[in-house]
Amino acid sequence: MGLRKRAVEDELETVVLERGYETLLLALRSESALNRRDAVRELSAYPQAVTDLLNTLTSEPEHAVREALLGALQQLGGEPVVAGLITLLRSEDAVLRNGAIEVLQTMPEGVALHMLELLNDRDSDVRIFAIDILQQLAHPQAPEWLLSVLKDETHINVVSTAVDRLAEVGRAEMVPELMAIKQRFPKEAYLAFAVDLACRRIEEV
Amino acid sequence: MLAASVAERDGTISDVEFERFRDFFYRKTGIRFENNKRYFVDKRLLERMQQTGHESFRSYFTFMRFQASRDELQELINSMTVNETYFFREEYQFKCMVDELLNEVVRHKSPGESIRIWSLPSSSGEEPYSIALYLLEHWPLLAKVDVEICSSDIDSKILQSCRKGIYSQRSVKQLPKALLKRHFKPLSGDRFQIDRELRESIQFTQANLNDATQMRRYRNFDLIFCRNLLIYFDDASRRQAAELFYDALNPGGFIFLGHSESMSRISSLFSVRKFSKALAYQKPLR
Repeated sequence: MGLRKRAVEDELETVVLERGYETLLLALRSESALNRRDAVRELSAYPQAVTDLLNTLTSEPEHAVREALLGALQQLGGEPVVAGLITLLRSEDAVLRNGAIEVLQTMPEGVALHMLELLNDRDSDVRIFAIDILQQLAHPQAPEWLLSVLKDETHINVVSTAVDRLAEVGRAEMVPELMAIKQRFPKEAYLAFAVDLACRRIEEV
Repeated sequence: MLAASVAERDGTISDVEFERFRDFFYRKTGIRFENNKRYFVDKRLLERMQQTGHESFRSYFTFMRFQASRDELQELINSMTVNETYFFREEYQFKCMVDELLNEVVRHKSPGESIRIWSLPSSSGEEPYSIALYLLEHWPLLAKVDVEICSSDIDSKILQSCRKGIYSQRSVKQLPKALLKRHFKPLSGDRFQIDRELRESIQFTQANLNDATQMRRYRNFDLIFCRNLLIYFDDASRRQAAELFYDALNPGGFIFLGHSESMSRISSLFSVRKFSKALAYQKPLR
C-alpha cells in the first residue's frame, strides 16, 4: 500500500467517443440523471440546442442536471437564451427563478435590450426580479434604470428593492430623487429608513 | 499598406489587436486578461512574434490560429500562464487532508479501493509533490490504503519540468530540513531534486479545463486541489469549472480552493464543510 500510479494513465488515455447531436438530444430524456447531465454538458457546444435545453430546464427534477443546464445556457449565450431565461422569471419555482436570475446577471448586453420592458412589467414580482438582476449586472446604465424605478414605480415593494440596490450603486446626483421617495410614501417608516441609509452610503463613497 | 498593424510599425500591440487576442485566448482557455494585464500580455505576445519570425501581430495571429500542429498555440498558452509556487504553500489544507478529510473518505471506501487525488494546475509540481510528501510523512493509513495522485496543467512544458522534479532553494524554503534531507537530493547551484520514487508516483497530464471532451476523461476523484486558478477566470468559466469538478468527483468528494476563492459564489452544486483546520467544498453523497 502507499502512493501508486496505475490505472489513471490507462483511463486518461481512453478515447472519448463523440456522440452525435441527435443522440445527445435523446439522452436528455434518459432515466439516469448522470446521463442527462453528461448530455447537457456536451450539448453546450451546439448553439442549435438552446430551445431543447430551455424546455428541459422547466421539467428537470435533479438539481445537478439543472445546474448543468444553466451552465450550458450561460456558455451558449445570445438572444434566444436571454429571452428564454426571462420567461422563467414568472416561474413559481424559486430555485429555477433564482438560477435564471444568476445567469442573466452575467449577460449585460443581452439583458440591456429587455430591461425597460422588465421594469415596466405588469407583474410587480417580475419588476422586483428585474431589480435583482440589476444588482449584479455589470452595465453602465444600471444606476439610471434603478433611478427610473424611483420616478415611475408605484408599488412599495418594488420601490423599496430599488432603494436598497441604489445604496450600493447610486451616485451623489441621485440623492434628491431618493429623498423625494419619502414625500411620495410619507406613511412608510421602513422606506424612509432605507432612503436615509442609501443616501448615507452614497455620500460616504 | 494602410492596414499595417501597429506591431508592424513600432513593435507594439494596438488596442484592437489586444482585444482580438484577448477574445481568442478566452475562447480557447477560459482565461480572460483584464486591462491591467496589458503589459504582461503584450510582452509575451511580442516575444512569441520574435521567436516565430513574425513582424506583425496580424501575421503571427493568422499563423498561430491556423497552424495544423497547434504547437504555437500551445507555446503561447505556456508563456501566458503563470507558474510560481512553493512547497507546502497554504499548508493548513494539507494538514486538514491528513488529519480529518481523508479519514472520512476512507470510511466510504471498499477494502482494496484506492483514494484518488487530483491537483491542478500542477504548475511546476510543488503542489502535487507537497500532497505526496504530506501523505508519506503524516498519514499513517497510507500503509493500508493506496493513494493515486494525478496532476494536470494546461502548460505542456511545465509538465516536463514537474517530471524532472528539480527545485530552487526558494521553492523548498518552507520544508523542514529533515524532510528535505530525506526526500531530496542536493544538486549544484543550490538546487534540489525530489526522490525518484516520488517522481514516479505522480501522473502528470496536460489538461485544458475549457475542453469539455478532454475533461470527460477525469473522473472518480475523491479530492481535488484547485487553488488560485479560478481567480483568473470570469463568471461563466468559473461556473464551467465547477461543473467539471462536480463530474470529476465521486459522491462525497471534496475540493480545496485557494484562500481567496469561494465555491459558494460560483455554484450551488457543493456544500461547505468546515473542518477544524480548513474549509472544503463537498459534492453531495447521494
